[in-house]
Amino acid sequence: MSALDKPTFERIEAYVLGRLSADERLAFEQRLATDAALRSEVDLERENIMAIELGGLQRVLKQVRAEQVTEQGSGGSWISYLKYAAVVAVLFGAAWWYITRPNINERAFANHYAADPGLPVAMSAAHDHAFHDAMVAYKLGDNDEAITKWSALLKEKPSNDTLRYFIGCAELNADRADRAAPLLLSVADQQGSAFAAKARWFGFLALVRSGDLVTARAVPFAVDHPYATKAKMVLAELE
Amino acid sequence: MLEGGPDRPSFPGICTNTTDLRIIVLRFTLPVQAKADIAAPPAWVSGLQRNDPKTVRTLYKEHFAAVKHYVLKNSGTTSDAEDVFQEALTVLWLKVREGAIQDASEPGAFLFRVAKYKWLDVVRSAAHKHMRVLHDDRQPDVRADVPDDTEEKLARLRDVYARLDDKCREVLDQFYFERKDLGAIAAGMGVEEESIRTIKYRCMMKLRASRKTIAGDEYTDEA
Repeated sequence: MSALDKPTFERIEAYVLGRLSADERLAFEQRLATDAALRSEVDLERENIMAIELGGLQRVLKQVRAEQVTEQGSGGSWISYLKYAAVVAVLFGAAWWYITRPNINERAFANHYAADPGLPVAMSAAHDHAFHDAMVAYKLGDNDEAITKWSALLKEKPSNDTLRYFIGCAELNADRADRAAPLLLSVADQQGSAFAAKARWFGFLALVRSGDLVTARAVPFAVDHPYATKAKMVLAELE
Repeated sequence: MLEGGPDRPSFPGICTNTTDLRIIVLRFTLPVQAKADIAAPPAWVSGLQRNDPKTVRTLYKEHFAAVKHYVLKNSGTTSDAEDVFQEALTVLWLKVREGAIQDASEPGAFLFRVAKYKWLDVVRSAAHKHMRVLHDDRQPDVRADVPDDTEEKLARLRDVYARLDDKCREVLDQFYFERKDLGAIAAGMGVEEESIRTIKYRCMMKLRASRKTIAGDEYTDEA
């Protein structure tokens, strides 16, 4: 199976979605008339798009159905029982929340953690294809896939701060703070790294998340560090 | 017949020959508004063509009651009625998207007919053999509304959609179903527009690869 390059994919997409000008459409259709492989790609892409739209329709139908149930439920003799059930559910929920609520360090982490969105992934970055492929996985939330791909690159370049930083971020996103902390803090201490400031902040948060508060309190933040104030706020919450 | 006669008006001083008369007569007999009315599809058709949730909601509200009444009378529940009605709405959507329905002004009859046959299929299935159908008046040839390949196509499309992971669905749904532009999707997800463009391309390529791998005989690369 040969790959379909991005310009060709987007040309087919524009044709299927009716976004070509009249001249472009005519030229495309002339090519279609003689190119069986292109016709096959158009049919496939049209059906894939239709499948995605059908998925969207099913989502909307599910919502409408739920709304109908709510509307039908707004009248009727059993509504009084529903009120009691709601009160019981609220009480039960509150008790359950109290029992299972996160501890203080988990709450502090949740209050302040916003995942690094990653680097822009440009299609033209063919020279770093493996790195950007992992970045796409990272942006899609496939942290384990991203870690596997970046780790393979890190074996070739063990001192690369970008790789260690993003593997640390992916570990933190995957809720493995104990693995994330040493990676991130090693980048934080690396002279000249563009990721040093963020790595110190995320490394500090990883320590908080994993409950190692003694080490977290010992992470040094210079007065002018961009995350010094936030780190102080986290420590204050932990007190 | 366009030539002037004893029963049609004449325009002395304006028309000098038959060609002029033809132009004037056409202007008087086909007002612009009338032409627009003929060309424009009904609102519900254009709504389904652009995946408008309000149109879906309106169709549901206006036509579900009749289906529910029928299903409840034939041993079904409200939930059964919702199932077959949703399926009928899905068939209607597919027909509109394929251009098979363009100028029908009343979708209720179509929805009822499809939902009814779908429910009768359920009733006649092994699990419902004990039920008694009160209103089975269908004719052998009326199922032309739902040709066999429609159900096959819907099953195939659902299978394709099932292969997408949640993240791909999130991006592709916004772009292809909601028709948002890349910039709006990127702003909503807190990433760059170029990243969304790349993610969309890669998700579609994953889908293409999985389909070509599974149905290699159906789609062959000739390039």
